[in-house]
Order: sequence, then structure tokens, then C-alpha cells
Amino acid sequence: MSHVPDGEDFDGDAPEELVALVGAPNVGKSVLFNAIADSYVDVSNYPGTTVETTLARAEGFALTDTPGAYGISSFNEEERVTREIVLEADTVINVVDATHLGRDLFLTLQLLDMGIPTVVALNMMDEARADDIDIDVEGLEDALGVPVVPTVAIDGTGVDALEERLPEATAPEDPSIESWFDELPADLAANRREKTLLVEADEATAVQVTDRDRSVADGGVPGFVDPAFREQIYEHRRERVGDIVDRIQSTEERRGSLGERLSDLMLDPLTGTPIALAVLGLVYYVIGDLVAQRLVDFLESVVFAEYYVPFVQGAVESALPAAGWLEPVEYVLINSNLGLLTVTVQYILGVLLPLVVAFYLAIGALEDSGVLPRLAVLTDRGLSRIGLNGRAIVPMIVGVGCVTMAVITTRMVGSRRERLIATGLLGLAIPCSAQLGVILGLLAGLGLVWWFGYLGVLLLVFGLAGVALDRTLPGETQGLVAELPRMRVPRPTNILRKTYNRTKMFLTEAIPLFAATAVVISLMDYAGALDSLKESMAPLTRVVGMPADFAQVLILGLIRRDFAAAGMTDLAITPAQTFVGLVVVTLFVPCILSMVMIVKERNVTTGALMWIGSWVVAFGVGGLLAVVMGL
Amino acid sequence: MSAHLDDVSAGTRFRLDRVPDTDLRARLLRLGFLDGQVTCRHRIRNGPVIISRDGTELAIGRSVAADIEVARVTRA
Repeated sequence: MSHVPDGEDFDGDAPEELVALVGAPNVGKSVLFNAIADSYVDVSNYPGTTVETTLARAEGFALTDTPGAYGISSFNEEERVTREIVLEADTVINVVDATHLGRDLFLTLQLLDMGIPTVVALNMMDEARADDIDIDVEGLEDALGVPVVPTVAIDGTGVDALEERLPEATAPEDPSIESWFDELPADLAANRREKTLLVEADEATAVQVTDRDRSVADGGVPGFVDPAFREQIYEHRRERVGDIVDRIQSTEERRGSLGERLSDLMLDPLTGTPIALAVLGLVYYVIGDLVAQRLVDFLESVVFAEYYVPFVQGAVESALPAAGWLEPVEYVLINSNLGLLTVTVQYILGVLLPLVVAFYLAIGALEDSGVLPRLAVLTDRGLSRIGLNGRAIVPMIVGVGCVTMAVITTRMVGSRRERLIATGLLGLAIPCSAQLGVILGLLAGLGLVWWFGYLGVLLLVFGLAGVALDRTLPGETQGLVAELPRMRVPRPTNILRKTYNRTKMFLTEAIPLFAATAVVISLMDYAGALDSLKESMAPLTRVVGMPADFAQVLILGLIRRDFAAAGMTDLAITPAQTFVGLVVVTLFVPCILSMVMIVKERNVTTGALMWIGSWVVAFGVGGLLAVVMGL
Repeated sequence: MSAHLDDVSAGTRFRLDRVPDTDLRARLLRLGFLDGQVTCRHRIRNGPVIISRDGTELAIGRSVAADIEVARVTRA
């Protein structure tokens, strides 16, 4: 499957012109995209990224959006995707934030240096006016030499004009970049776009060009030029940006807008911490309570338990002839532990889907409002002590909802080392909402002291495990460097579109994995492997001061975490035993779906180490608590 | 002795003088943070420093800020 959208994706038609919307994050690309697109064609995810791009059909051309980037380079995942699309695109609509001209024109000039036919959409003209920023649009058009169309994407102003002027897209050759081209090998088979990135020391482009033409650089990958050139070129481009802005923009002293004041409040720990807690509390209430408990309960106990599962069981039983050799097949399809057509479907549609949708909605709202990067700033200090930086707050928040999903979001936390730490902590010490619901219910019956004790033990394990991972893993923590977009009210259509795209992506990745796992587990169960496992666990239950039946709980925990917690309700045990038991099942191995995702995202070795480590920590901590509490 | 970005206090203006990390320098350059004066908006105790230039805000973790040298720190 091709991941760079191209014209040939359209059912056999002649390749159409590909227009890409390119611009910095939060400049209104998605809103413009929706305004220009006639119909959606395809959402694609680049391999190994969480970055999604949408391809649509518009009048006479194919339109693709790109992840936000401040320039064409390869500093992060989003930029690498944008770079690939820009190299393929026929025309670019460069969306520029009129309130941040000095920042955004760098990308504009870079696109023109690359020789890419460009039209500039000067967006957020309303906000610029409100900020008393006066822009000479014609002057900008003259200075750049390409069409510049003022737009207010959110109310559609200028969108028609933008489409009309699209055919005028051009790239006036600025000779200044060409002087650096002399540094490249004379016979290099690269176009102007690639040459520009090559002299800017972009490694990804160097690899691409080298792969295509092995004769250029024998074996050794890249560095066609002295990396210091990048800085010279960037400086030169910044000077040109400064000249243009001085000429065409006049501005009064900026006054603090409502968004800026809110941003100040969020970044001050004194006011920001309560705001952050309130926001997270709301998110948790909606997802953890309304969706994870009420909606999922209803779906599981009514829709699936009363209607779907009995119906499918009946249908399969009557469809399959009663032959002995078909028994295992029937077992795999409809067994009550993890039947492929019964419980597996129930997990995916009844549990995961509502949680996934709710989480993507919440994350989308936090992203679009600008709250998320500010949460990262607030938590950076604490997270940097355990080898992470503020960006890791996202998987941790998602993890309290569903660890399986959170494992996917660790892709955004930076280096390999940070992903490992984040994944390790998620698998070990973060209870998912389904499990937390049952645990809350059990502890509520015992009293508030036990609840705080439970939280305290978990936080302690979380902190200690983080410090231990930070000390033992090679390498160093990457510090936080994050642009803070303006705070603004998020647009529902945008959030819905993102949620739809991400949910679809999640399901296409998850369903085959979960189905395969269900088949394997069911076969093991059928062969009696699960029962013998239970017997072999008897010594372990004594270590943590629990009755032998606790092994049954743990077996359930191997498959799904909340099952383990729910299994605790049936045991006749003391409050202290309940407490220790709940700590053990929380620290115990991630559920089978999370494990599958961990192996997929990391690798088998990491997965196995984490799985074994969870046993050790769960029974180590549980045993310690049992001794302390005299069990 | 020169001052570092983790020493500045909120409200002060200064120039980012020396950024040792090449990639970070390129990113700051691109955003215009090396063109002239920047302002420190917030400084979270033992946490990130938030600087701004022309309305663009950037949060820089403490460890990264400690490596960046700043010049002409004046009270605004």
C-alpha cells in the first residue's frame, strides 16, 4: 500500500494534480481542508507513526493535508511525513498565520527555494485585525512573487478566491539558494527540491538520493555537504523573512488576549495545577465513569450478554454439524472465555470501541484547545526525574483509560529509551479504567484509608520503577522543547474528524491482532493448558497471603485486567487480603491485548521482559505487604 | 561568567547567545528565536522555562535550558 498519496489512488483515472496544504501547527489547515475538499477518499497513516493524513478529491485536483511543521526537515515524525508529501506534491497551498508572519514565512521561503509552485493562504486575518496587526497583502505578494490570498478559514472568507488563484501557483527562482548547490556533486541525480534539502543537511533526503543512485556515494551514507551550511542557509532565509516583515507589516504593541491570560494561568503551577486537575477530573468522569462504567456495563451486560452472545452461540451450534472433529472449532468460535465470535467481538465492540472513541474525543479536545502542551510543561519537572519528559503525560493519561491504546501513543514521547520507560510504567503500575472501576467498588466497601493506601503503594511503585529504569537503561533523557500554540476554543467538526480517523486506524490495527490472540488462547484452553497453569501457581498465592482460589483470579488477569479485579469480589477474604490482592492484580501482567500491542510496538524481548518483570514486582510488593500486614 | 537560560527570571529580555546542540539551534533559528530579543514568560521552579518571541511561545526543559547561554539580561 502506497503511503504517499498520489493521483493513481483514484480508481484508475489518469493521475490528477496533487495539491498539498502545508503550514505550521494550528494555523487552520484542517479547517481550510474541509472547506476546499469535495469528498474524502482515504485516510492513511505513515508506517510507524501516529501521524495521519487525509486525501480528498476537490474540483479538478486531489487534495492532501500534512502534519503541522515549521519547516521542511526531519526533526520529528510530523516533519518527516510533511517532507515526503511536499517532495511529491505538484502544488502547495502554504497556510500562513497572519498573526505569526515572522515565524511562518520561513517555511514559505523554504518552499519557494525548493522551487515548489505555491499559493499562500494568509489565514487568521480576523485575529490579526483584532491584534492591530496591519499587513500590506499586495506588498507581501510582490515580495514573495506568488499569489497571496487573505482568508478567515473558520467562516469561509477567501476560500473561493484561494481556489480561483490556485492555477497561478508559481515559484519564482531565487538565485541565492543556488550558490550552495555548487557544493553538491555536479553529476548528482537530484531535483531542485532535493538539492535544497541536501544542502540543508537533511539526512532523510540524503538517504533517499543515495538509495536511488548508488554510484553517487559508494556505500557510506550521506552528508553530501558540510552540516554547517544548513545554519548559513537558515540564517540567510531568516534575514530575508525579517526584511519582508519589516516592509509589509506594521503592528501596535500587542495586548494580552483572553487566550494569553488563560495560558499564563495554566503555566503558573499555583493556578495551573488546580486547572489541570479539574480538566483531568472531568475527562476521567466522562470516560472512566460515564463511558467505561455505565455505557460499557450496559453494552456488556445487556446488549452482548442477553442478545448478541446467546444469538451467536445458538447460530453456530445449529450451523455446525455435531461431529466430534468440529468440537475444537466450535470451542474456538464460541467458548465463554475468549470465543472468536462471542467474547472477542464483545471486547472489541462493547469495551474497546466506546473507550477508544471517548478517549480520542477527549485527547482531540485537549490538543486543539492547546491544553495538552501546557500539561506537558506542568508535568515536565516530575517526569524528568524518571527519565521522561513532559510529553510522556499523554500516554499516562490515556493509560488510565486503556493501557492497550496508551502503548500506541508512546510513539509520540520521543526517543527509543523514553518509549521503553513509558511502556514499562504503563504495563506495570497504571491500572486501566475498566479495572479501576471494579477496584474502586471493592475499596469503597472497606473505607477511604484503604483507597489512599492503594494509591500510595501504586505511586511509590511507579516512582521507584521509573527511577530504576532511568538508571539502568543506557542513554540520556531528552529534554523538553515544545512550541505552545495559542489557546482557543476547539472546533467540534475538527475533533470529530480526527476521532473518526484515529478510531478507524486503531481498529484496523487491533482487530486482526486480537482475533489471532483469541484463537491461540482458546486452543490452549481447550487443550487444558490453562488449568495446569493454575495448579502450578499455588505456591505463589501463599507468598502474598491469599487463598488458593486467588490463582483463578490471576489466570483471569492474564487475559483481562478487570476480570481479575472482578474475580476478587467472589473470594471470602479479609479487608487486608482484599487490599494486598488488589495491589497484586494491579501490578500483575498487562492484559493480553496490551501484551500483543507491546510486542507489536516494541519487540518480543521487551514484551517478555516486561511480562516476567510484572510477575516479580507484583509478587515482590505483594509479599512485602503481606509480611508487613501480618498475613 | 555568562548567564544561562535556566537562570533568567520571568519578565526579563535577552538574546540567546550560544546553543550548543546543532539540531536545537537549527530549530530555534527557524522559528526566529535567534533573530533578536526574546522574553522569558514563565520560569517554573526546577521545571521548564517558557520564552516567547513575536507571540510564539516555546517551553524549554530545565536540562536543555541549562546548556543555553544568554546575553544582555536586562529588567523589562
